[in-house]
Amino acid sequence: MQRLDSTNYVDPLDALRRLIPTPLKAVYRIGSLRVMVETNDFTLLPILPMETDTDATGDGTLEWKLVRDPDARGLLDTPVFLSSVSLTVVEMGAACLLGLDHERRELVGFLGNDVDARTYQEFLVPFLCRMTNEALCGNMTQSPMSDSEFADA
Amino acid sequence: METKYRFDRATLPFRTDFQVAGTQCLLATNSYRALRAAEKWRGAPIEDRAKHFRMELLVELGARTDVQHGAHFRGMKHLVFVSLPPYGFLAYDLLRRQVRGVLTPCAVSDEVFWDSLLLPITVGLMGTTMAVAPLHCACLERDGKALLIAGAAGAGKSTLTAALGQRGFAVVSDDWTYISQAHGSLVACGLGVPLKLLPDAAQFFSALNDCNLRRTLNGELAYEVNPESTMGITVKRAAYPRWILFLERVDHGASVMAPCRKEFVLDFFEKSAEKLPLELDQARRSRTAIIQQLAECPAWILRTGESPQQTAEAIEGFLGEAYYATA
Repeated sequence: MQRLDSTNYVDPLDALRRLIPTPLKAVYRIGSLRVMVETNDFTLLPILPMETDTDATGDGTLEWKLVRDPDARGLLDTPVFLSSVSLTVVEMGAACLLGLDHERRELVGFLGNDVDARTYQEFLVPFLCRMTNEALCGNMTQSPMSDSEFADA
Repeated sequence: METKYRFDRATLPFRTDFQVAGTQCLLATNSYRALRAAEKWRGAPIEDRAKHFRMELLVELGARTDVQHGAHFRGMKHLVFVSLPPYGFLAYDLLRRQVRGVLTPCAVSDEVFWDSLLLPITVGLMGTTMAVAPLHCACLERDGKALLIAGAAGAGKSTLTAALGQRGFAVVSDDWTYISQAHGSLVACGLGVPLKLLPDAAQFFSALNDCNLRRTLNGELAYEVNPESTMGITVKRAAYPRWILFLERVDHGASVMAPCRKEFVLDFFEKSAEKLPLELDQARRSRTAIIQQLAECPAWILRTGESPQQTAEAIEGFLGEAYYATA
């Protein structure tokens, strides 16, 4: 599969790679969710049913921004979840870093160079779907900490 | 086998707050060690809630320590991921001004980890969201007035900082200075991070002969020394910026100061600042406002081919005259 030049992105003032262009876009239907995927790598476009109603927006819409990171080496480690009311972060070593903002309905992720297409499609895409569904469809049971709790401490 | 860490009231029962570089950290944790480590940063509370951020640290014996890669930083939109093996993993939410991390017991007990990694990384990433601009420059203070020294990487800011420190200037910072606005004035803060001197600095500072070179976070070999205990240099946490020098190293020749325009100062700091995503536009604007106020300070380009000690002597003499000229 072809990769875009943006996978070779280098900017000394963007050490975190926050501004890597993600020009490839596609819209999918995952259960009740409409997922808009943006990426810099064709191989990171999920093999999932495409959305037919491309104009639909609203609460059922979610954004995935997935970046192929050529400088992140190594295979996937076992997932470590950091979960709070607003955010779920998953770390699988440098090869896979994911963050899902529940309120903003955005999932961002960096996938290392050694994560091959098969591992991505067969393991990570179902993982992303499960993570998205669990976080956005009411499986969060924690009690958040408010600022006033800190003020009273 | 997945590992799941939940961050909530039940898992983080202990709270405290502390102050760092003009911001206030509201810390929640499950560890007395973390509470104890934060003690040294406690000071007068900061009332302005726009300068508060939340840090939630879960300290786990089982935190992953077998990581095969080095420190790894990535960010997208308002989220930043920081992997710091063998200490742990941190996730920053810059819009909500929150950081959550899973750390080892050794990490939270280690003063060097707090002073050299956790707090500099945290203020460096989140400062702009609290109107604290992390600027790549050194800061020295004498008689209540601060001199900022900026310049390209490798220009010799840190060796010059050490030489000025040995001439009686107090060191606020040698690499990153955190600048904010308070009551109409600018305040420059440091974090007490060790002075980082490259191997060739040993020819100018005999005290380094007793120190060991270490591999730093960006992979460089350097001496990382406590300026107070190793070189007898006074350290201060904050100062009021008064002058700016842009250091340019030349092959040889005496130190020469050339005044520079406000536009040069603006351009230098804007173009050397980290690029921020659209989601952090408010942070970018507050950083620009700080840089604009900073650009009102008298500034000079310093070209020198002299040793750090000779350059420091020239600066001291020059600032003595500049003090009266700009008073």
